[in-house]
Amino acid sequence: MWQALHEELSPFGVTVVTVAMDAEVSMAQPWVSAASPTHPSVIDRTHSLGGALGFVNVPMAAWIDEHGELVRPAESSRIVPSVMAGREVPPGLPPRIAARFELLRHASPNAHEPYLAALRDWAHRGAESPFALTAEEVIQRSQPRHADEARAAACFEMGEHLRETSGVDAATPWWREAHRLQPSNWTYKRQAWSLETTAPGEPSDLIQEPTDRYEGNWLDDLVAQGGLKNQTPAFSGPSSR
Amino acid sequence: MLLTTLFPSPDEFFEQTGWEAKPEGLCRGEVCVPSPGARRPDGTIDVSVVAERLSMPLLRDEHSDTWVLGPSALSGRALDTAVVPPLSLSNFDGSPFDFTSLLGRRIILAAWASW
Repeated sequence: MWQALHEELSPFGVTVVTVAMDAEVSMAQPWVSAASPTHPSVIDRTHSLGGALGFVNVPMAAWIDEHGELVRPAESSRIVPSVMAGREVPPGLPPRIAARFELLRHASPNAHEPYLAALRDWAHRGAESPFALTAEEVIQRSQPRHADEARAAACFEMGEHLRETSGVDAATPWWREAHRLQPSNWTYKRQAWSLETTAPGEPSDLIQEPTDRYEGNWLDDLVAQGGLKNQTPAFSGPSSR
Repeated sequence: MLLTTLFPSPDEFFEQTGWEAKPEGLCRGEVCVPSPGARRPDGTIDVSVVAERLSMPLLRDEHSDTWVLGPSALSGRALDTAVVPPLSLSNFDGSPFDFTSLLGRRIILAAWASW
């Protein structure tokens, strides 16, 4: 999907750079190989985009102008309809899978359209686009960061370093602390959960059921936070200037 | 950022954080923060002083003696300037991704994940 958009927008001076927020290269690589992107495709193994720019979930994107300045902060960047939107829950599913299905089916089928339209407008009109924010708006619309969120970013980075060098047991207390400090950061949580629940040699587990290692899990955390509408910071629309 | 020393050179600190030591203080983009004591007599940066001035968490793992410096919480937002900070992204072969290859183009930085 990003490949098609890159091909469409590249003649207007726009380059898509896709970033896999994945601790393990082997988990992301098959997806990249299948997509064969012609745009830059990179990996962020320590989820540094969280600390640097405020990415807290996927899909999210930030826009950077030709001078190296952000014109939109990290925000929800869905560019295709949700495959689950509006689908009926199949009968006979295990209760927790049915509950997951029920949450996902309430995603808006057209939620991607405003973002896609804004992206195309900016590609064609550049700084004249109403979706190119002022520097002050970029800062004000970026994710909240107080002491807890800043510490969560450091805890996640520490955990990933220790997981690499000493194993997951060394990482666990740091990652648990990151989850506690910033419960709204889904990249820290989903990364840790999936590493724990994915069977060796299998693709990343998306269900992420409860484990003994971490306090949270996908379904219960999402319900506790009020469902999908609160999972990813929304696209915030045009400039107010 | 993972620290190899608590006293990096100003150039090293700038490359990793985007914060530059200037006479008026530590600066990134248009933001400058007075930071007395941040420069040591030998010219290196004292990370523990900087961490306090810029509201950056400084963590230590005692077992491995590893230090990590987190991002600034100075503005209460993830960004304190619209200038893009240094990003530590890699190509899939492990080599660092060089953003200067895209100079002059507009960029959509789009995150996804396998999980």
